[in-house]
Amino acid sequence: MFEVSDIVAAYGKIEALKGVSLKVESGRITCLLGPNGAGKTTLMMTIAGILQPRRGSIRLEGAELAGLSPARIVSRGVALVPENRLVFPEMSVRENLLAGAYQRRDRAGIDSDIERMYARFPRLKERRDQMAGTLSGGEQQMLAVARALMSRPRLLLMDEPSLGLAPLIVAEIFDIIAELNRDGTTIFLVEQNAHMALKVAHQFFLMEQGRITFSGTPGQLAEDEVIQRAYLGTRRAVG
Amino acid sequence: MDLLDLIDAVQSVADGVLFGATYSLLGIGFTLIFGVMHKINLSYAAASIGAAYASLLVMSVVEAPAVLAFVAAAAAGGVIGGLVYLVGFRFIPLANPLATLMSTVGLLLLIDEIIVHATAGVPLSYPALFSDVIVQVGPFGLRGDLMFVFALGCVCMTLLLLLLYRTRLGLATRAVSQQATASLLCGISTTQVNVLTFVITGVVGGIAGAMTGAAIGMLSPLLSLPLTVKGLIVTVIGGLGSIPGAIIAGLIVGGLENAFQFFRGVSERDLYIMLLLFAFLVFRPGGIFAKSSGRD
Repeated sequence: MFEVSDIVAAYGKIEALKGVSLKVESGRITCLLGPNGAGKTTLMMTIAGILQPRRGSIRLEGAELAGLSPARIVSRGVALVPENRLVFPEMSVRENLLAGAYQRRDRAGIDSDIERMYARFPRLKERRDQMAGTLSGGEQQMLAVARALMSRPRLLLMDEPSLGLAPLIVAEIFDIIAELNRDGTTIFLVEQNAHMALKVAHQFFLMEQGRITFSGTPGQLAEDEVIQRAYLGTRRAVG
Repeated sequence: MDLLDLIDAVQSVADGVLFGATYSLLGIGFTLIFGVMHKINLSYAAASIGAAYASLLVMSVVEAPAVLAFVAAAAAGGVIGGLVYLVGFRFIPLANPLATLMSTVGLLLLIDEIIVHATAGVPLSYPALFSDVIVQVGPFGLRGDLMFVFALGCVCMTLLLLLLYRTRLGLATRAVSQQATASLLCGISTTQVNVLTFVITGVVGGIAGAMTGAAIGMLSPLLSLPLTVKGLIVTVIGGLGSIPGAIIAGLIVGGLENAFQFFRGVSERDLYIMLLLFAFLVFRPGGIFAKSSGRD
């Protein structure tokens, strides 16, 4: 189980996370919804160690992650697919995957994982020697997911995987998310596309202005209501 | 212009191109550091000359063949590179665009001062290799020492490219320069990459410093400023961040420098190089291999 408790993070004096607590069950898909500026990306960056929290704890299977460097967090089994994908534009698809496996030393294992990624994402195989910057948005998203998987994470964080992608591609990405989860990867997902997210998620949290204001399972509330809260926000905390 | 003049002109340009390998190495150093840190290290050429001086110190202590000077300069360059990172970058707020610029100007002046004080400002002669060799190609004579400098430069560049494109460290270096946040997410330590980049460019700079000394037969503290300027010009003409650009631009600047010197005299030489820089800044600010814009 992955557990965030009472995380406070700030940019200078502005507190972006004002005591966030949530739990992600192993083997499930958990989704974090919320309007723009709620602090969702900040939370993801804090879990990944890019931002250091002011206080609070982040635990994966009981082991503390808060305060560790991003590299240590990757080695503990957490990988983030960042917002806007952030592929290495002037490196080939294959090199991007190798970078994802940077902390691993088992050559044979890395090679066989690259082959597995090619099998799962045939488009990447076709473009293995192409520079990542020349890929389409959807292909870059697949590459970003594959790159994160190359570290063999126990927990895969995804920040807005559907951002800026055509509906058909979005559906494909969500198929992949469901498939990865079926193969046993725990997934914690930030998504603006609440409609798609609620279809695959087992559990969701709603975040507003740096706080978790609601949590539940899809179907517990009418989808419309969740979406309304996610985008229009609520005045009072419910849940 | 009669034939003899033409032969002289070509000869002069050829010598310049051979020496240009030094500029190429310096340009690569500026470009690599800019690539990973997005900062200009203005002390780089001074540190390179400093490393060449340090190799003279080694040579004065031990009796050794001249080739050892290059090895010693490379080693000293690596050490100085690490120190420059420690003093000029490690504890300086990187978010402030002027901070590291000023700290590296400070280091440039410091290194120059150390050299001036240690040598009383008197130029020291530097051992050249193969200076007694001249290869005749038709009417042209290729100087052995310059050819050695050029060959050594090519070897360094080849090794550097292999390091960048064939090794795990090279992969990490390119990753950091292309997408720093993503490289952190891949578990790459940017600090480690930064330090190693400074050490490796330091080694390359040390060799470039030794090559400069060997090509002109002496070292002087007056070399560091022109070399800084030439290195920066090469970086602009080659395109900031482009290694192939730096290589080609170094050779071009070396060749043109001698051509201008041949036709217009040594006093006007740098004027035309500056004009060339100006033309590039206005008409082709991205350098000779300017990438298509619109990509982040």
